[in-house]
Amino acid sequence: MNNLESLQFFIPELFLTAGLLVTIIVELLLKKEQKVFTAYLAATVLLITIFFLIRQYAIEPAALFGGMVVIDPMAVFFKILTAVSTLIIVFFSIPSFRVKAEYYVLLLATTLGMMLMAQVNDLLMIILAMELVGLVSYVLAGYRRSDPKSGEASLKYILFGAASTGIMAFGFSYIYGLTGQTNLFEIQQALQSTQHNPVILFVAFVLIIAGLGYKIAMVPFHFWLPDVYEGAPTPVTAFFSVGPKAAGMAVLIRFIISIVAGVSADGQTFTANAPIHAQELLAVLAVLTMTLGNLSALQQKNIKRMMAYSSIAHAGYMLMALAVFTSQSVEAVMFYLVVYMFMNFGAFWVIHRMTPHLGSEEITAYTGLGYRAPLVAVAMGVFMFSLTGLPPLAGFIGKFYLFAAVIKAEWYILAVLGVLNSVVSLYYYAYVTKVMFLNRGDDESAVSISSYDTALLLVFLIPTLVLGVYWVPVISWATQSLHFFLG
Amino acid sequence: MEINEMLFLAIALTTVLSALIVALSKKIIYSAFALLLTLIGFAGLFIYLSADFLSMAQIMIYVGGILILILFGVLMTQRIYDPSQITAHNSIWVSLAGGIAMAAITGAVVWLNPWGKTLAKDFEYSTSRIGSELLTKYLLPFEVISVLLLAVLIGAVYLGRSREVHK
Amino acid sequence: MASFYIALLFLAVGFLLVGLTVLFSRLLHPRINYPEKNLTYECGIIPEGESWIKFNSRFYVIALIFLIFDVEILFLFPWAVVFEELGLLAFVEMFIFIVILLVGLAYVWVKGDLDWIKPRPELAHLPKEKGK
Repeated sequence: MNNLESLQFFIPELFLTAGLLVTIIVELLLKKEQKVFTAYLAATVLLITIFFLIRQYAIEPAALFGGMVVIDPMAVFFKILTAVSTLIIVFFSIPSFRVKAEYYVLLLATTLGMMLMAQVNDLLMIILAMELVGLVSYVLAGYRRSDPKSGEASLKYILFGAASTGIMAFGFSYIYGLTGQTNLFEIQQALQSTQHNPVILFVAFVLIIAGLGYKIAMVPFHFWLPDVYEGAPTPVTAFFSVGPKAAGMAVLIRFIISIVAGVSADGQTFTANAPIHAQELLAVLAVLTMTLGNLSALQQKNIKRMMAYSSIAHAGYMLMALAVFTSQSVEAVMFYLVVYMFMNFGAFWVIHRMTPHLGSEEITAYTGLGYRAPLVAVAMGVFMFSLTGLPPLAGFIGKFYLFAAVIKAEWYILAVLGVLNSVVSLYYYAYVTKVMFLNRGDDESAVSISSYDTALLLVFLIPTLVLGVYWVPVISWATQSLHFFLG
Repeated sequence: MEINEMLFLAIALTTVLSALIVALSKKIIYSAFALLLTLIGFAGLFIYLSADFLSMAQIMIYVGGILILILFGVLMTQRIYDPSQITAHNSIWVSLAGGIAMAAITGAVVWLNPWGKTLAKDFEYSTSRIGSELLTKYLLPFEVISVLLLAVLIGAVYLGRSREVHK
Repeated sequence: MASFYIALLFLAVGFLLVGLTVLFSRLLHPRINYPEKNLTYECGIIPEGESWIKFNSRFYVIALIFLIFDVEILFLFPWAVVFEELGLLAFVEMFIFIVILLVGLAYVWVKGDLDWIKPRPELAHLPKEKGK
């Protein structure tokens, strides 16, 4: 489809860009004490964008802007997911960044980047969209300028990010050199029609996985993550743990269904384009990711660092499902991301609101919280058990689908390793619950929480509980979205 | 040897040698100035690849812009001649092993595939082709770049600002 | 490609001229050294402290802004080359590109990042400005 015709299918992105520009201009016109208005403006822009996105389900899969991006239900799913996660983050951030208008502008810019990542169909667009998300993320990580830890987080993020983007672009250059194409499906055709040396393709695959793996925090490209999660302001950390990761997963899925493997017309069977053992490599990396994430999380004293390693482990679970290359596994990952968004945001919200009351981010500071703020502590317990994957919580259903996809594809060893990892993770998640309820701290004064805090807590808590018993709407949403543009 | 090849060799040697100075020099200010030569060398190599626009971009952005930023960064560093500032992880053998491994892998890739058939073409000016492609086929990336630059501008200025502005 | 040889020739001649001048002055100048000659400013006043000072980070911000608009200008070149062929379409496309960046310029302008600080030397022996 040419550029002019494509515009009508690009309304959410255009609206978001316009909203971004308007937010900057409004920011400049407002006085300092009125600037909280920009947060509400950003939220409104996102809400309307989501409304436009939902209407995009009616559109038949097609390539837009001469094949630069595609529109298909999977893209719409990821666009809605990332936009919703940013919308939640806007409300998450209002208590701590009331008058920081640039912050909301940057959030909108990242959302645009993540929405583009969800629908990329060209090597050039992959780099651009990932850079849009990446560059803004570096700034967000260092947003608290007075805090040296925040600056350190930003610097580490930049150095690793720049290196991994460079490596990925180098991998893309091999693909381009072999096929002479940048469009993903033209590359797929070129790879299927001519036999290329598998060694080169394998090297290119490894290089590209290095770049994508960095985005989703895959071992061994995870070094930046604990420091960034610890140093960045907590709302930003929460943001990093869901939105960009989901967008990274979307790019990885696009990459798998085009360059690595061909998908049959019904979307069910994946056949590799070249014998490069991509599945085995991904499976090994998935096992490494979850094992290292879980084992490192065991030793953490700081709760944000623990959540950082937990987030690495969860990336491992999702990679494990993606490694088996079935449509069912893609569906499971999509479902898991929805569940993960609620439980992870919930845990970060509790950490964010409790840190000023408890005075530190150490896990031991949570001692006796169950007696000081019962609702918060119970909610935190629910999020922790849901992250472990215990029934009857949403995390269990999410993990159930992931493991079901792996077992159905007959990768039993992988599934067993995944389950063993979940068992390990029970220890550190349960430990948080234990200090909150079974131990009593010195300070037993009640912690007062505002109605805003409670309301947002319930926004995370209710889906985590409800999706554990009634998950049909979400899984049918994921099933409905399991429809790719296939060239 | 043709004059063309000799020139190529001269440019390539300058690039590699100055890059070595960048990596090995003990004084960071020397590294920064050697980087100037490396970046100009790259611009020269791009011309040999028939990428004249890219070469000019290299001069404009890297030599004229980024290098200035790097020099500013170097000049803003305190106590840069202090030997205690050297990091602990600077084993030359590890770096050498990594470099050789990378060179072996990329070398193997070059060796294994018959590349370069399309590269043997005559030199042609690329700017007008880039222009028309950018405004037609690659229109979306082109416009996304402006949003990217805007976001980067706001973010970079926010971080670089030394204290809260009055407004 | 020929025009690049000319550019290279210019570069070579430039280096050669500077190199020869430096070489000649090295060969010709008398070598007489005394401590005053090695001072940073040979003007009678003895410099104090190090020459290595931290300067205002505002320069850095301005360099950053320059870099962003440098990249923008880069995209104007290929656009200008094909402007006649593509006509109005090219104009509209570049207009959108520049308008988006102009919002950024408005941002840095209003926020005062482009304001130049006026140097006010604070020397101990000078009387303070009135009203302070």
